[in-house]
Amino acid sequence: MSAPAAILEVEKLKVSFGGLKAVNDVSFSVRRGSVTSVIGPNGAGKSTLFNLICGAIAPDGGRVRLNGNDVTGWPPNRIARAGLARSFQITNLFFDLTVEENLRLAAQALEPGGKLLQPKRRSERANAKVRELLERFELSHKARELAGYLSHGEQRRLEIAVALAGEPELLLLDEPTQGMSHGDTADTSRMIRELARDITILLIEHDIELVMGLSHWVVVMHQGQKLSEGPPEQVRADPAVRRAYLGEA
Amino acid sequence: MRPANPAVSAAAPARARRRLGVRHLAVAFPVLSLVFAGIGAALGETFYLRLATEALILAGLAISVDILLGYTGLLSLGQALYFGLGAYTAAFLLGQGAVGFWGALLASLALATPVALLAGLVAIRSKGVYFILITFGLAQVAAKAVYNTRELGGSDGLVGVPVLQADFGLFRVDLGSPVAFFLLMLALIMGLYAGLNYLMHTPFGRTLVAIRSNEHRVRFLGFDPWRYKLAAYVVAANVAALCGALYPMLRGFVSPELLYFKMSADAVITVILGGVGTLIGPIYGSVALVGLRTVLGSWTEHYHMIIGALFMLAVIFMPRGFAGLFDRSEGDPAQDEGEGT
Repeated sequence: MSAPAAILEVEKLKVSFGGLKAVNDVSFSVRRGSVTSVIGPNGAGKSTLFNLICGAIAPDGGRVRLNGNDVTGWPPNRIARAGLARSFQITNLFFDLTVEENLRLAAQALEPGGKLLQPKRRSERANAKVRELLERFELSHKARELAGYLSHGEQRRLEIAVALAGEPELLLLDEPTQGMSHGDTADTSRMIRELARDITILLIEHDIELVMGLSHWVVVMHQGQKLSEGPPEQVRADPAVRRAYLGEA
Repeated sequence: MRPANPAVSAAAPARARRRLGVRHLAVAFPVLSLVFAGIGAALGETFYLRLATEALILAGLAISVDILLGYTGLLSLGQALYFGLGAYTAAFLLGQGAVGFWGALLASLALATPVALLAGLVAIRSKGVYFILITFGLAQVAAKAVYNTRELGGSDGLVGVPVLQADFGLFRVDLGSPVAFFLLMLALIMGLYAGLNYLMHTPFGRTLVAIRSNEHRVRFLGFDPWRYKLAAYVVAANVAALCGALYPMLRGFVSPELLYFKMSADAVITVILGGVGTLIGPIYGSVALVGLRTVLGSWTEHYHMIIGALFMLAVIFMPRGFAGLFDRSEGDPAQDEGEGT
């Protein structure tokens, strides 16, 4: 079976909270191996869209397909097993556990269930993954520290490392540069570019320059709807986008 | 004196730092207990040996609470349900002469497992305070039901449990001997400790700790927290039932009080005093609480007030319990030491 070209297909997705149509008939797809970004002003429905895709909330209508499989309405743990991982806008870690344990827990998804009741050292694949990620994200020297004691930048790095530990095919990054200094943002941008070499990325970001430099495809959301989509240059030139969003900046 | 070997001097501070670890409490306990048993045997003591055996039995109930509270983040105010279930199962079957030592233990586990699965299905679906209330409610319902069932002795409970011989193949333990019963219970509780300590360090146990830390995040890593919580609940219920089954073997009777809220609450207090999330702390806590109750109870009948005041002081001055005093790691004692990766 050949894998479909689109790793993620979102079709007429909608959800409302009370009377508010938070996400209204949004369709787009993410091509395997690409970096796709969702941009839009605050309240445009970007985070809700992410929550719908990863199973945190169930849609009122529409479809989500991951690798050609209909995953609409699946619980998050099942969608995660199907190859989708996400990071969170507000750092969401096991703050009272060590950095190493944060990664180990996430990497355990690589191991068969039979390893659950065996000593941890038998989970060789997970342990190797932890070491690899500690090095790659420059957290080796902090491995035994509690995640809650890391600096903000380190926590943001760990957040992404945890998302990667289960070796997902598709990574959803929710504002990875949230609250970062300019230097850290540049580092993160470099890191995302590196990640994109072997994984498909769907990104929410409001740092437009970062998005434009990284993405192959940009989806613009406005008031719960898709306003425009296309390659970065095309989106940047779209008058509707300029009016709704870029013009404000 | 200068150390001859620099490698030794370099290693010394690390060893000194680990001298008072939580793990050493797990070694100290059986050692102190054996000394106690030796003295007790030499003096022909009965009362304190049997009291200490009871403390070890109640320690099992406290450990059961700690599995849920310290590792999974679930506060059960109804663990006495499973302790009582084990006690009544054993007392009933032993009273009929239907089973021996092993049969009574197996029967209580065989009954506790399906009951915990069913109760867990209900309780774990509900979150936070509702879980606490449902565990509380289930135990209250069970206590009332037992209280009103004549076949189970009603308010009097079941009496006349025979003194048993526990057959271990190579040797037999006479449970009529206070020293022998104490040593058997010590071996059992340390065995439970070792087994559960192992379990809590497997990936399964670490996932429980992760659920306690941040259940929401666990879900997005591909694990279904609900299954893990149910498994922990069933394990905890079995620990409580197993130790409950030993209670009538020691005391010769069971009564509905074993299922009452006070039993469940005392177990939670024991865990908090001993150290939440340590497994060994609750064993110390149980000995301390049973000891205090006996000593104070011989002075005044209002000993509960004193224990209450001491509990408050303990929570203020040892927020992480007795075992927490020996824990040098930051964060919480359920924290892993990171070996194996």
